[in-house]
Amino acid sequence: MTAAAPATAGEKTAALVASVEDLRVHFELKAGVLHAVDGVSFDIADGETLGLVGETGCGKSVTARSFLRLIPTPPGRYAGGRIRFWPKEARQSGGEPVDLLQVPTSDMLDIRGNRIAMIFQDPGKALNPALPIREQVAEVFYQHRTEDLLEAWNGRAPRPIRRAASQRAGKLERLAFKFPPLRSQSKRLKRRVDELVGDALAETQIHNPRKIMASYPHELSGGMKQRVMIAQALACNPDLLIADEPTTALDVTIQARILELIRELQHAHQTSVLYISHDLSLVRRICDRIAVMYAGRIAEIGTTQQVFHDPRHPYTQGLLAAVPSFAHRRGELAAIEGTVPELIDPDPSCRFHTRCAFATDICGRVDPVLDGRVAGRPVACHGYASPEELGVAAAELPHLDRSPA
Amino acid sequence: MTTLRDDTVATPAKVGNEPVITLRGVEKYFPVREGVFQQVVGHVRAVDNVSFEIPRGQTVGLVGESGCGKTTLGRCIAGLTDATGGGIYFRLSVADRQFLDQVDAIPQEQRTQEQRDRVERLERAHRIDRLKGDAWRTYRRNCQFVFQDAFSSLNPRQLVKDIVGRPLKVYKEASGPGLTERVVGLLESVGLGRQHLYRYPHEFSGGQRQRISIARALALDPEFIVLDEPTSALDVSVQSQILNLLHELQQERGLTYLFITHDLGVVRLMSDDIVVMYLGEVMEHATSEELFASPRHPYTDALLAANPDLLSDGDEDTEMRGLEGTLPDPARPPRGCRFHTRCPVATPRCGWEVDDAVAWLLDNATVLDGLSGVERATDFDSVLRFGDEAAAGEAASLLESSDVPASMRTAMVELGTDGAQLRIRFEEVDAVRLEDVGGGHTTSCILHTSQSAGS
Repeated sequence: MTAAAPATAGEKTAALVASVEDLRVHFELKAGVLHAVDGVSFDIADGETLGLVGETGCGKSVTARSFLRLIPTPPGRYAGGRIRFWPKEARQSGGEPVDLLQVPTSDMLDIRGNRIAMIFQDPGKALNPALPIREQVAEVFYQHRTEDLLEAWNGRAPRPIRRAASQRAGKLERLAFKFPPLRSQSKRLKRRVDELVGDALAETQIHNPRKIMASYPHELSGGMKQRVMIAQALACNPDLLIADEPTTALDVTIQARILELIRELQHAHQTSVLYISHDLSLVRRICDRIAVMYAGRIAEIGTTQQVFHDPRHPYTQGLLAAVPSFAHRRGELAAIEGTVPELIDPDPSCRFHTRCAFATDICGRVDPVLDGRVAGRPVACHGYASPEELGVAAAELPHLDRSPA
Repeated sequence: MTTLRDDTVATPAKVGNEPVITLRGVEKYFPVREGVFQQVVGHVRAVDNVSFEIPRGQTVGLVGESGCGKTTLGRCIAGLTDATGGGIYFRLSVADRQFLDQVDAIPQEQRTQEQRDRVERLERAHRIDRLKGDAWRTYRRNCQFVFQDAFSSLNPRQLVKDIVGRPLKVYKEASGPGLTERVVGLLESVGLGRQHLYRYPHEFSGGQRQRISIARALALDPEFIVLDEPTSALDVSVQSQILNLLHELQQERGLTYLFITHDLGVVRLMSDDIVVMYLGEVMEHATSEELFASPRHPYTDALLAANPDLLSDGDEDTEMRGLEGTLPDPARPPRGCRFHTRCPVATPRCGWEVDDAVAWLLDNATVLDGLSGVERATDFDSVLRFGDEAAAGEAASLLESSDVPASMRTAMVELGTDGAQLRIRFEEVDAVRLEDVGGGHTTSCILHTSQSAGS
């Protein structure tokens, strides 16, 4: 669907942008330890769009936020695993990746919004209601693109201007900007910021960016606010864009436009995207590959084609059948009975076994591993495991080819 | 016959496809107040002139984007808020409805005494905002509501037993052990059980809470339930459970549903009839199959295009399309067809007006910064006064440029500058109305009806 050739799952190609390995994020609650993310692994290849799909509470947002270390600790705790990230330079020169869970905070500040950017679900909450749009988008430039802002000075900008361009000007300096000789220079800086912000907004097909820049978030519609968020996220040309349900809060007709926009900009910027959503029909339209999550774990990973036309995990099969579609008749919608299990101090087991029609005894005792050897691509289900390794008879494993019990 | 029916609101008539609810030109305007004295300066037209019927035992789906007035209409029907105009009738027979329509067409002073009396009797017996006493109680118990957010609609300090048993208590249907047994029966009918009686709402998952809501709605064995986005807060796998449950209950109990949702996939599955609303008005009304097979309104087309999986069997090639622009201000809805400002196939006859030109200028240029006043003769004919001639000239040339939608440009019959003034006049058009295009399929789009006169 998109130009980038999707890397086959599991195969470590040279051009990875990020690789999550056995990520575990736990929350310490009064009732016990909540295993929100419990051993998640996937790769994001350069230029691809990876969809992370799952229901409410399956840990998809926690996974996404872990990329930027946005989980409040405590109560959260990064209990294990690593997220390796290859910035552009590292990818080109074959350099070492950084572990996003280990890098010092100062480096993290340089990564957030610059190398990895995020679009949040509710643009109404993610924008500051007390600041005009201009200031909010400009902040990205102040933080990460000081050199760009000072281009016109050829490296000979006076200190106060230099400080202003990285949002560090003090009160006195700001006062000094009102009088010559700094006045004209500060105006020049402001014009440069306006120019960059205007360009960033114009890129998201906002008509009349000048007007939008002066307005406050409450004056804009939901779709417009989401465009501003996208402009903000893409302003620094990030290597990885994390879109956390960017269209959930929007109407369907607007949703289609935003999706189109993200896709277009992704092509233009050659950015990799981690697209998080609960909406299968959306994910299929925008993603090259899809990782299905359930209760803190990955159920299966495959290309969009594979997941939609040949779902391997019983959960994915149930989920696809549950979407009201062309083929369904009233009252005959396939439903996955039961509810998502509690994730507080869970026992080793397949998280889906309580709702799975194929489940056998072993599913309630042993953690399945995300294994691609039998299924041809990573699927975490005992139905695709080898009996020898588990040390059980083949008959004890669930048989997915028979009709559900 | 009708005279006999006057006091018979409580007839549990099982007459074929007689409507349970009849809407006739329902309006709900919310006043917009401003200033120190809170004077009414305008009205938000949340629901504007909506008419349709909900036949017994069927499901009518009400679809539209957020802000189109579908929830407000649902609340009006359930009697949670009063409509400000038109009438919502309960168990009004088709013959009576036709009679009311006939009388409506006659001017007030030309109606005979007999006609007036009959109208008065019908209204007193069927119009829900005029029902009194027992008739009103009968209506309330026969019309129940399931809310979107199952958490905030259940009292967090009450046990499930009290929540579900409350309607039975209020209507003195049961008490003591009998009440408990009735509640258990209700819980079992929605897939819960006795073990859930003494729990609080927070102990349940979203899907279970919605089941409790449904059990409460079923308590008094109603005829009709308004389902206001009952599954939009739920996950897909749970949504399918609830949808199946609703269908089963309808089969068992012969329930009538008004299914309010923004999800076309769900509405297609659940509804016999679908009403598409936009900005307070009905755009199109047809049976479910008919609407999906041959939509006759560009807005319906747009909704379908935003979710192409519904039409094909999930072919990845089908392009997903959206709509330009944003929902207009419902306090000043567009003239003509309300959808024309965002319509991809708008014609010059769709109701282009001065406000559209102004909105376009606001979006695309900065000349309006120099605007000093507007003289509005009608919505279609205004004079914009600018600070200087240059600005007026620039605005005029912008409006003449090919960036302006062609249909808007064609509709502009006069565009001229006089000094610093710019006169814009559009062709005047009438409001669109719903028209039958065959087989009970009604649409308001002039491209599909005979209203395109003069084009």
